[in-house]
Amino acid sequence: MIRVVSFFCVALMGLTILTLYHISEQTRVARQDLRVTERRIAAEEVEVSILQTQWQKVAGPETIQRLAEASLGMNDTATVQLSSLTDLPRRGDDTFATVRTANAQAPVVQTPILKISVRNGM
Amino acid sequence: MTPPTTVFQRRILIGVGICVLGFSLVGLRLFDVAVLRSGVTVPKHAAPPQTMRADLVDRNGELIARDLPADDLYARPKLLKDRRRAAHGLAVATGAGEQRLAKLLAGASPSVLVAKRLAPDARAKVALLKLPGLEYLPNGKRYYPDGRMTAQVVGVTDPDGRGVSGLELGLDPKLRAAAGPVTTSLDMRVQFIVAHEAQASMEEFRARAAGGLVMDVRTGEILAMVSLPDFDPNARSFVGAVASRNIMAQDIYELGSVFKIFSFALAIENHTVRLDEWISIGNGFKIGRFTIHEAERMPDALMARDVLAQSSNIGSAQIAMRSGPDRQRAFLTRMGLLSTVSSELPERARPLYPAHWGTIETATIGFGHGISVSPLSFASAVAAVVNGGRRIAPTFLRNPADARGEQLISPETSATMRALLRYVVTDGTGKKADVPGYDVGGKTGSAEKPGPHGYQHNKLVTSFLAVFPIENPRYLVFVVLDEPHGTKATSGFALAGYTAAPLAGHVISRIAPLLGVPLNPITLAKENS
Repeated sequence: MIRVVSFFCVALMGLTILTLYHISEQTRVARQDLRVTERRIAAEEVEVSILQTQWQKVAGPETIQRLAEASLGMNDTATVQLSSLTDLPRRGDDTFATVRTANAQAPVVQTPILKISVRNGM
Repeated sequence: MTPPTTVFQRRILIGVGICVLGFSLVGLRLFDVAVLRSGVTVPKHAAPPQTMRADLVDRNGELIARDLPADDLYARPKLLKDRRRAAHGLAVATGAGEQRLAKLLAGASPSVLVAKRLAPDARAKVALLKLPGLEYLPNGKRYYPDGRMTAQVVGVTDPDGRGVSGLELGLDPKLRAAAGPVTTSLDMRVQFIVAHEAQASMEEFRARAAGGLVMDVRTGEILAMVSLPDFDPNARSFVGAVASRNIMAQDIYELGSVFKIFSFALAIENHTVRLDEWISIGNGFKIGRFTIHEAERMPDALMARDVLAQSSNIGSAQIAMRSGPDRQRAFLTRMGLLSTVSSELPERARPLYPAHWGTIETATIGFGHGISVSPLSFASAVAAVVNGGRRIAPTFLRNPADARGEQLISPETSATMRALLRYVVTDGTGKKADVPGYDVGGKTGSAEKPGPHGYQHNKLVTSFLAVFPIENPRYLVFVVLDEPHGTKATSGFALAGYTAAPLAGHVISRIAPLLGVPLNPITLAKENS
């Protein structure tokens, strides 16, 4: 009986040693991977930070306007009213008639919509 | 009957018991670590990159300023085989002076500084050289993606990352302590438009300086503040002393006729004037040994509302004199014009006003001479006049809540002033600032600059104060041109109605749709007909 118990204890001890070694080794490797990943994340975050800053520069209104003027021949334009309140259907009017739809096409007006002049470019 | 256990057997059993207990504890711990707590000890997020200051962003979250890694590059000359060639390569890659580098590398120093705060692209170029003996020391650089556009208001930091001007200095403790970005009240879209239009006007009228600001009259938020000439905050290259000054907050001006707004607000509040009464203008108004003249030819008499609309100095002086020195001084004090305006900007200016405030001073201050205030201070005071008459403090931090405070003038006076300002734009000197459908109200101001021998007739500071939509004001635009010159298009006139008013109109026509200000179809149809 004692021999069996002793054998069981020694076997359990051996198994535990192996298991602990295996776990500690796994932990060491995992920690190493974690450090590498953390370094990569930090580097990526720096990259993202730089890219965000560069994006802010290239997507800024100044750059967009310069590119639009230089490459697309676009200019500042005055605010244009697409439609007026009179074109919109009124609640209660023509209850049984087909509902009119408001669209973006304004009636042709001969006079300029806005009086003010607008500059082109810088 | 079992034989009694021996001492030897009892010891073995105790040993076995201890072993089993020990292994059971180890087993339980293994189970706990491997099963119950699996994954808990692994950090989920990597540490963020170390920065010295928080980001500055605009009210829409657009980046204004950020710390980026920019390490310092050092070289160990002893490890370099061909020092002359290394100096050339490093100079090309980093932009450092080749002669300086060659001299440093030829010296006996064990380690020399090649370049400070190397940008990532320059660092990549250095890596391509594959030189031995190079090492980096961690450092950072504040970067401003919008460059000049925000230079004056945002300011810059020193090489140690401390704010030295603008919001970088004013918000320094907040930027150092904040974990996340610090949100300002600025709107980069509006900032760009004001900067763009101010630059265009400055060039068109060959002005010495130009500036503009946009303020929310209910919350006090400054949406844009531009001061030209400016500088590149990334390069910090200043051209002239003016470039480093924020003329909208740091400088004080005798603003001229825009100041008549306060003369009228006081007179209406105190019921010392009726807007439909006739006021004699004549040809010069004598007070003691002084004679007040008009900037432009005026009729013999004007209705009170036309005194403001046509910007009559004589009429305004008479209206101001009805209030008297004491009430005028008390009113301007209450409006905050005789003290330094407080905001997050460290650049402030103390107003200049007469020590002796007599009748003559009352008359001249009535039309905006004899008192100098900063444009920011002036704009804040006018915001209180039009926002229902309540005090409002300017702020550069996002604060969308209504921040109006103490009642300074009655809501009725405020409403009358709004109607008057609208009248100035529809029937007075501010016609060129009108933007159909947006109901702009405003006032022109053309002030001669004081020189060593009195006021200089050919050197003006022109300004325009605009508020829109005037019925229920939300935004205030104030633009200033320093020493503008007339053009062929303005028939040589450099007065505010020809220079500053169109500038304000251009700004409003571009920012109003962006800010979601609704068009008034009634006035739009009326003005287009």
